[in-house]
Amino acid sequence: MKRFATVLVLGALGLSATILAQGPVKLSFYSSGDVNVKNLWEQNLLPMYQKKNPNVQFDLIFSQSGTGNQATLDRMAAAKKAGAASGIDLLEGPVLEAGEAGLLVAVKSKDISRLSRVEANVLARAKGFGVPYRGSSVVLAYNASKVSKPPKTLEALLEWIQKNPGQFTYNTPDTGGSGNAFVTRVLKLGLETKDATTFESGYEPALINQWDKGFETLKKLAPNLYNGGQYSKNNAETIQLLAKGAINMGPVWSDQGLSALKQGILPENIKLVQINPPFSGGSSYLGVAADSPNKLEALKFLNWVLGEEAQAVIVDKMNGYPGVKIAAMPADVRKKFGTIAKSFSFGFSSKFGADMNRLWYEKIAGTPQPQR
Amino acid sequence: MLGLLLVLPPIFVLILLVLYPALEALRFSLGFVPADNPAYASGLDLVNSDTGSLEVFKKLFASSFFSSNLALTLRVSFVSVALLVLVSYPLALFARFGRGRLAGVARVLYLLPMFVPVVIATYALITFFGDNGWLEAILGTVGIPYHSVIRQEAGIVLGHVWVGVPFAVLMLSSGLDGISNECLEAARDQGANAWVVFWRILLPLNIVPLLIVMTFSFIGVFGSYTVPYMLGPSAPQMLGVSMALNFGAFRQPQQAVAMAVVSFVFCAFAGALYVWSTTRGRKS
Repeated sequence: MKRFATVLVLGALGLSATILAQGPVKLSFYSSGDVNVKNLWEQNLLPMYQKKNPNVQFDLIFSQSGTGNQATLDRMAAAKKAGAASGIDLLEGPVLEAGEAGLLVAVKSKDISRLSRVEANVLARAKGFGVPYRGSSVVLAYNASKVSKPPKTLEALLEWIQKNPGQFTYNTPDTGGSGNAFVTRVLKLGLETKDATTFESGYEPALINQWDKGFETLKKLAPNLYNGGQYSKNNAETIQLLAKGAINMGPVWSDQGLSALKQGILPENIKLVQINPPFSGGSSYLGVAADSPNKLEALKFLNWVLGEEAQAVIVDKMNGYPGVKIAAMPADVRKKFGTIAKSFSFGFSSKFGADMNRLWYEKIAGTPQPQR
Repeated sequence: MLGLLLVLPPIFVLILLVLYPALEALRFSLGFVPADNPAYASGLDLVNSDTGSLEVFKKLFASSFFSSNLALTLRVSFVSVALLVLVSYPLALFARFGRGRLAGVARVLYLLPMFVPVVIATYALITFFGDNGWLEAILGTVGIPYHSVIRQEAGIVLGHVWVGVPFAVLMLSSGLDGISNECLEAARDQGANAWVVFWRILLPLNIVPLLIVMTFSFIGVFGSYTVPYMLGPSAPQMLGVSMALNFGAFRQPQQAVAMAVVSFVFCAFAGALYVWSTTRGRKS
């Protein structure tokens, strides 16, 4: 009798456990980015996932351009301090900061089997606190009907600009990643190899004089830029200038450039190439909150995002690089990114980046503009 | 007593949201770094001092980037105010004394910029005056070469005049409305011509609104952000744009706050002129 009761109790427990596991799970997903990121989740990826996993629901809280990221971090930190649940399961955006503050779980391949498809250095960039699910990098856009032999290296690009005055420009480094990547690439000319990682992930103001060579180069470039030294206002203006034919070459984000080509904003004679060494780029990361009660479901979702089906949508809708290695993607994707999807380099750390912006304005834009 | 009670809430808000942060900013610029304010304490190149120092301002004025920015800001402010008065006064006179359909149209037109958001207005100016813009196309048909003023100093002035006209004309013409027709007719009966009427009667009687327009416009232009951000060159920049850059992109909050203090000093002079002119007007 006693044994029978035990069996009964155990059976009931097991049943309720199965019911619980199959019951609806609501994942609260804090994401950030541009409108295209929001559309990617709302209209494509989340409905696709829900179709296959009807028990999972998403509550997407989107922060336009990441303006709410700090508030999200503060909220998670406050919840941790108070020992309460933050109510956040998934986080896209400031994954490294959140992870270092102990607010995210470290992603491991035992939880996410497809993690092995991700480039190890890209994963290490977020110290393993998030899954890089899509990426983009800055590439060189050029007008193929005017430029028959596009430069393949940085030296060749700099030489081309000097020989073809008025046909190149980049945006001020604080207003968009494309100009920022160009300035970063040129400043890297003078860096000593042993300090390269410090520039990417640390801060040491004494090293700044290694930028002198790069700034000297940028200064010499200025009079040969568009309109005798005019910089574009942001990523989009460089694309507009290319579209108008006002310039024949400029740095653009791979995803923005490809989208503009697809939409016809950029005419077909604009081509994209990556130079060697490559311009910097970045990935978007997804992380799982350390206090999430739905960790298993969240990790399962991350594994799905790295799968072929989801990655194909990302490549198609966002024109982003897949989060996984290009080699793990189907042939047509490999073809699409043929000339540009080499691995990208990384930019400077945020403090070095701030100094770079300041010095660029003081040394490059701040010098008297050449008068025509 | 009731009056005092009624005035308390706004004073409280003023102290909490304006005065206190302003004092905190002033202290920060003097080297007192508040550890509990991450936006300040996480800045680069901070000057820390327990007793207060002018080191930040010394660094600021030693920088040639800042002095060229300040010079540009002053130049743009004075030129914009002068042009604004030159454009607005005739318009105000026309609005006051003009008769017929044309004057009615002018009265509507000068108000128009007031109802156009500044960002939209600057976009419109860029499309019209910018490279490959309408003006260039129009002038191109008759073979006149044109060099765009957009992204130049002149572009900022143009933007400010456009944006500032409605307020200036409203202010000036309401002042002119207060001058009675009898007064002007009496002057004409004595044989005064239009110039004498303007110089000896209209201008002196309308001096307070003019001073208000000049001081308010000066303060507005000096601290402006949108117009110089959209229409100005990458460098030098007006102080408003430079402050935002220093605070955000350069992570130099202390320099940004020091620039705000410097701007406040300049604008305080204009403010003093305004206070002096209005109290003087009341006495007479």
